[in-house]
Amino acid sequence: MIPLATAHLKGPHIDFAGLSPLIALLGGSVLVLIVGLLGSRWIRAQAVPSLSLGALGAALGLTIWQWNAQKSIVSGALRIDDLALVLNLVLIAGAACTVLLAWRSLAAREAAHGEFHALLLSSVAGMSLLAAAQNTVALFVGLELLSIPLYVLCATELKREHSLESGLKYLIVGSVGSATLLYGLAMIYGATGTTDFAGIASALSNGSLATDPLTLTGVALCVAGLCFKSSIAPFHQWTPDVYEGAPTPVTAFMAVTTKVAAFGVFLRFFDVALIDTQVSWGPALAVLATITILVGNVGALGQSSLKRMLAYSSVAQAGYMLAGVVVSTQLGVRATVFYLAAYLFMNMAAFAVIVARERQTDLGDSIGALAGLGRERPLLAWPMTISMLALAGIPATAGFMGKFYLIDAAVSGGYTWLGVAIVVGSMISLGYYLPVIAAMWMREAPAATSPNDASVLAPTPGPLPALAGGSSELDEDGGPLSGSQPEVLVVAVLAGAATIFFGVIPQPLFDLVHGAGSGLGLF
Amino acid sequence: MPPLSILLWLPFVCGLLGALASAVLARGGRTNAEASAGDASAASGRGAWGAPGVVALVGSLVALGLAIAYIADYKSGGAALQHVTDTVWISTLGIHYKLAVTGLNVFLLGLTTLLFAVATLAANLRSWERPRLFYFHFMLAESAVLGAFLAQDLALFVSFFDLMLIPFYFLIGGWGREPGRIKATIKLVIYTLVGSLLMLAAAIATGVLASQQGGGHITFVLSALHALPLSSGSQEWIFLFFAAAFLVKMPAFPLHGWMPDGYRAMPIEVLMVFSGVLSKVGAYGFLAIVLPLFPQAAVHFQTLMLLIALASILYGSAQAFSQTDARLIAGYSSVAQLGFITLGIFSLNSQGAQGALLQMVNHGLVVAPLLFIVGLLAKRTGGSEDVRQMGGLAFRAPVLASLFLVVALATLAIPGSSNFVGEFLILLGVFKAKLAIAIIAFSGVVLASVYALRLFIRAMHNRVGPSADSHEISILDGAVLAPLIAVIVFLALYPQLALHRSERSVKAAVASVQASTVPAQTVARVISGPRVVHRSATFADSVRTP
Amino acid sequence: MSIAWYLAVSAIVFSLGAIGVMTRRNPLVVLLCLELMLNGANLALIAFSRMWGNGDGQILAIVVMTVAACEVCIGLGMIVAIYRRHLPIDVDELRELQG
Repeated sequence: MIPLATAHLKGPHIDFAGLSPLIALLGGSVLVLIVGLLGSRWIRAQAVPSLSLGALGAALGLTIWQWNAQKSIVSGALRIDDLALVLNLVLIAGAACTVLLAWRSLAAREAAHGEFHALLLSSVAGMSLLAAAQNTVALFVGLELLSIPLYVLCATELKREHSLESGLKYLIVGSVGSATLLYGLAMIYGATGTTDFAGIASALSNGSLATDPLTLTGVALCVAGLCFKSSIAPFHQWTPDVYEGAPTPVTAFMAVTTKVAAFGVFLRFFDVALIDTQVSWGPALAVLATITILVGNVGALGQSSLKRMLAYSSVAQAGYMLAGVVVSTQLGVRATVFYLAAYLFMNMAAFAVIVARERQTDLGDSIGALAGLGRERPLLAWPMTISMLALAGIPATAGFMGKFYLIDAAVSGGYTWLGVAIVVGSMISLGYYLPVIAAMWMREAPAATSPNDASVLAPTPGPLPALAGGSSELDEDGGPLSGSQPEVLVVAVLAGAATIFFGVIPQPLFDLVHGAGSGLGLF
Repeated sequence: MPPLSILLWLPFVCGLLGALASAVLARGGRTNAEASAGDASAASGRGAWGAPGVVALVGSLVALGLAIAYIADYKSGGAALQHVTDTVWISTLGIHYKLAVTGLNVFLLGLTTLLFAVATLAANLRSWERPRLFYFHFMLAESAVLGAFLAQDLALFVSFFDLMLIPFYFLIGGWGREPGRIKATIKLVIYTLVGSLLMLAAAIATGVLASQQGGGHITFVLSALHALPLSSGSQEWIFLFFAAAFLVKMPAFPLHGWMPDGYRAMPIEVLMVFSGVLSKVGAYGFLAIVLPLFPQAAVHFQTLMLLIALASILYGSAQAFSQTDARLIAGYSSVAQLGFITLGIFSLNSQGAQGALLQMVNHGLVVAPLLFIVGLLAKRTGGSEDVRQMGGLAFRAPVLASLFLVVALATLAIPGSSNFVGEFLILLGVFKAKLAIAIIAFSGVVLASVYALRLFIRAMHNRVGPSADSHEISILDGAVLAPLIAVIVFLALYPQLALHRSERSVKAAVASVQASTVPAQTVARVISGPRVVHRSATFADSVRTP
Repeated sequence: MSIAWYLAVSAIVFSLGAIGVMTRRNPLVVLLCLELMLNGANLALIAFSRMWGNGDGQILAIVVMTVAACEVCIGLGMIVAIYRRHLPIDVDELRELQG
C-alpha cells in the first residue's frame, strides 16, 4: 500500500506560458484592488493607475513573448494564435489609453481607484479570454467576465443619475443578449453534441445537420446575442443611451475594446465553428451589416452630444466590420482585424479630446464645447480633426486604409454591393463628422457659458446618503477639473499621430494582421 | 531631371516648413504672451508678407520651374511614361507609389503649378488671419492636385483625388466669406466626396475584379489594369461610379448644385485654383483613367455623356448670360466650358480628345485671371461683385481694361486664340461622332461670346456705377496677371506646343475605345496600319496653321 | 421521454422570461425575468447533455448559474444605489436618457 503522501497524482498539464497574459491581467486586478485599500490618498490616486498600467505593460510584454505561438491550451478551451495575440495587443492598448484618460476622472475617484482599475483589468481579461475562446464554455465565461465589470464601470459616477441609469440599462440589455446567446449555444450544443468549436465544425460538415432547424435556430439566436453585444442594428438601441450616460473614459473603453472582443468572437465562432452554415448566416449578416451601416449613420446625423454621435458612429463602424466577417475569407478576417486596430486609434483620439474638453469647459460633451478649439488649443483640435477625417474614411488616415481593405475583402468575397453599402455609409457619415471639424476650426469660441448649462452637469447639492459601493473619497472635491492634464493630451496626440502614420505607411499594420487570417483555416 | 516626388511634395513641405518656422519664430519673439491674439497680431504687425506666405511662394515658384523643365524635357516621340517613379507602397493591397509624366498630364502640371504660384502671389498681397494654417492648407492642396495628375496607380489617384478636397474644406470654411460660409463648405464637400467615395468603391472593384480575371495578385497600377480588361457588365456600373465623381468635380449640369454657393463663399485666391485646376482633375480622370480602363462602357454611355455635356453647355451659357454676380458668371461659364471638354472627350476620337486636353489648359489659364480681375473690380466698387454695381471702370484704367479684354476674348474663343483651336478640334471630333449634337453645341460657342462680352462691357464700359471708383491696376496685381496673360498669348501663337506633345498619349488613350468599337479582326490592322499614321500626320499639319 | 418535451418547457421558460423583460416595468421583476431566460437555457443545456451522454452541457449550466448570481448581485446593487438616490424604481421613468 502506497502512503498517500507519496502518491503521484497525474495533474493536467498547464501551459503557463500561454496563459501568462491572462494571469498578468487578473493578478494585476487583484493587486490594484488591495493597493487601493491603502490609506494614503497619493497611493490611491497615483500608484493604483500606475500599477494597472504596469499590469497592462506586463500583459503586453507577455503577449509579444508568445508571438507566433500556435497552440490550444486548457484542454482546447483557448487558442493562442496570431488572431488572439493581435486582438490582445489592440485590447491592451485600448485599456492603457483608458487608464490614462481615467487618471483624474471623477468616476475613478467616486468608485475608489482600486475598484475602478480592478474592474477595468478584469474586463480586459474577459475580452482577452473571449478573443482566444474556442469552446462555448470559454466563450460564455469570457463574455460575462467582460460584461459584468463593464456594467459596474458604467455606473461608477455614483453621484450622477445618468451614470447609474446607464449602468442598469446596460446590465438589462447586456444580460438579455447573454441569455439569448446562451440559448443559441445550447441549441448548437444540442445539434452537435459538443461545445468545442472544431467539434461543432466537423459535426456540421457531415450530413444534413447544417440545415437542421435546431442548428439554424441556434445560429440565429447566437447572431442576435452577439449583435446585442457589438451593437449591431436592430439590436443597437441601448448604445447611444449607455454611451452618453457612462463616464467618458469608460465610454471610450466600451466603444473600442468591446468591439474588439465581440468581433474576435464573431470571427472565431462564425468563421470556424459555424463555417459550414455560412450559406445561411452569410446573407443574413450581410443584410444586418447594411441595415447597421444605414441606421448608425442616419442616427448620428444631427446629434449635438458628441458621445451620442460617436455611439451611433460606432454602430455604423460595427456594420463596416461585419462585412469582413460576412465574406468569411482570410482576407475578410485580416480586413476586420485591421479595421479594429485603426478603430482603436481613431476613437481614442476623439474620446481623449472629449475627456479633455469635459474637464476644461462646463459644456460637457456637447459639440459646442469644441467651438474655437483650433485657435485655442491646436494640440487638441488636430487629433480630433484627424479622428473625424479618419472615421469618415479620408485618404492618408488609417480609416481610409481600413475601409479600403474591407471593401477589397467584400468585393473579393463576391459581396460587391456590401462594398458599395460601406461607401454609401461613409457618404452619410460626412454629414456629422464635418460639422465637428467646422465647429473646431470655423466657429469662434463662445464668450461665456450660460449658467443653465453649468447646472445640468454640476453635482446635485445637498448631502448624499451612503451608497452601495461608495467610498470614503466622496468627500473630495467633485467639481470639474481644470489645469493641465498631460496624460490626456498624450493619448490624444499619440492616437492622432498613429492614425496618420498608419494611413501613410500602413504596411507594418498589414504585416501584423497578416497572420491573424491564416490561423482559422479559411481560404 | 530630379525625381517627380520632389515636384509632388515640395509644395507640401514648404507649407509645413513655413508654418513651423513662423510658429517657432513667433514663440521666440513674443514677449507679452497673448496666446489667443498671437497669430493675428503677428500677422498684422509684419504686414501681408509673412514668413509662411513667402516660404509658400518660394515653394510654388520652384514647383513651377520644375514643371516648366518637365514640359521642356518632354519627348513627344511616343506615348510611353516618362520620368517614372515606381515603388511599392502597400504590397498587401498591390498599391504602388507610381508617378510619371505623360502627354496627358504634362501641361496640366504646368497649369497647376502656374496657377498655384500666381494664386500664392495674389494671396501674399493680402494679410490673412492665421496665415500659417492658411498657407499650410493651400500648399497641401497643391501637392494633392499634383499627386492626382501624376499618379499612375488607380488607388493612388483615388487617394489624392479624395485628399485634394480636405485642404479646400478648411480653406473655404476657415477663410471664406459670410454669409453661408460653413453651409457652403459642407455642401461642397459632401457633393464632391459623395462622388469620390463612389469612385473609391468602383476603383477597388476594378482592381479586385481585374486580378480575379487575370488570376494574379491584386494590383492597381494603371498599365497592369489596362492589360486586364473587365467584362462589359462590370465596366458599366464602374464607369457610372467614376463618372459621378468626375462630373461632380467638374461640375457638369445636373450635379453642379454645390457650385454657386461654393463660388460665392471662396476667397478669390482660393477660387482661382479651385476653378482653374480642380475641375480639370475630373476631365483628366475621364481621359487618363476611364477611357483606357473602361472602353466598352465609354462607348455604351457615349450618348448619355454627350447629352450631359450638351446640357452643361447650354445651361451654363444661359446662366452665365443671366447672372449678375460676376463670380457666378465665371462659375457658370466654367460649367459651359467643362461641358465642351466633356464633349470632346466623349467624341471618342483623337481630335476631340486632343481639343479637350488643350481646352483644359486654356480654360484654367482663362478662368483664373478672370476671377482675379473680378476681385480687382470688386475692390473698385466697394466690395460688390455685382455687375450692376460696376460700369465705367475702364475710365482711368486702360491697362486693366486691356488685360481684361485679352482674357475676355480668350474666354469667348476668338479666332487666333488657343481656345479657338481647342473648341475647333472638339467640334471637329464631335462632328465626326454625332452630327446633331455638334450642331447644337455650336450654339454654345456663340453664347460664350455673348456672356463674355456682356461681362466685359458692363464692368468696364457703360455708365459709371453708383459706387464705382476707377483706378489703375497696381504693379503687384499686374504681376499676378502678367504671367497668365503671357501664357495665354504664347499659346495663342503656338498651340502646337501643347498639341504636339500630347498627341501620342491622347491617341493611346482613345485607341482602346476605338478598338472596342471596331470589329475585332480589323483592330490590329487599323492600329498598326500605315493609314492611321498618315492621317495623324495630316491632322497635325492642319493644326499647325491656325 | 422525447427530448422535445424538455425543449418545449425550456423554450416556454425562456420566452416567458423574454416577454417579461420586454413588458414588465419594475427592475426587480426584470431581473427575475432575466433569471428565467438563463434558466430556460440551462434546462435545454442539461437536457441535451443527458441526450448526448456527455458532461459538457452540465458544465456550461453550472457556469451559467454562477454568472447569473453575479449578474443579479450587480443588478440589485445598482437598484439599491438608484433607490438611495431617490430615483423612481420604474424602468419607464428612467427617462433622463431618452432612447
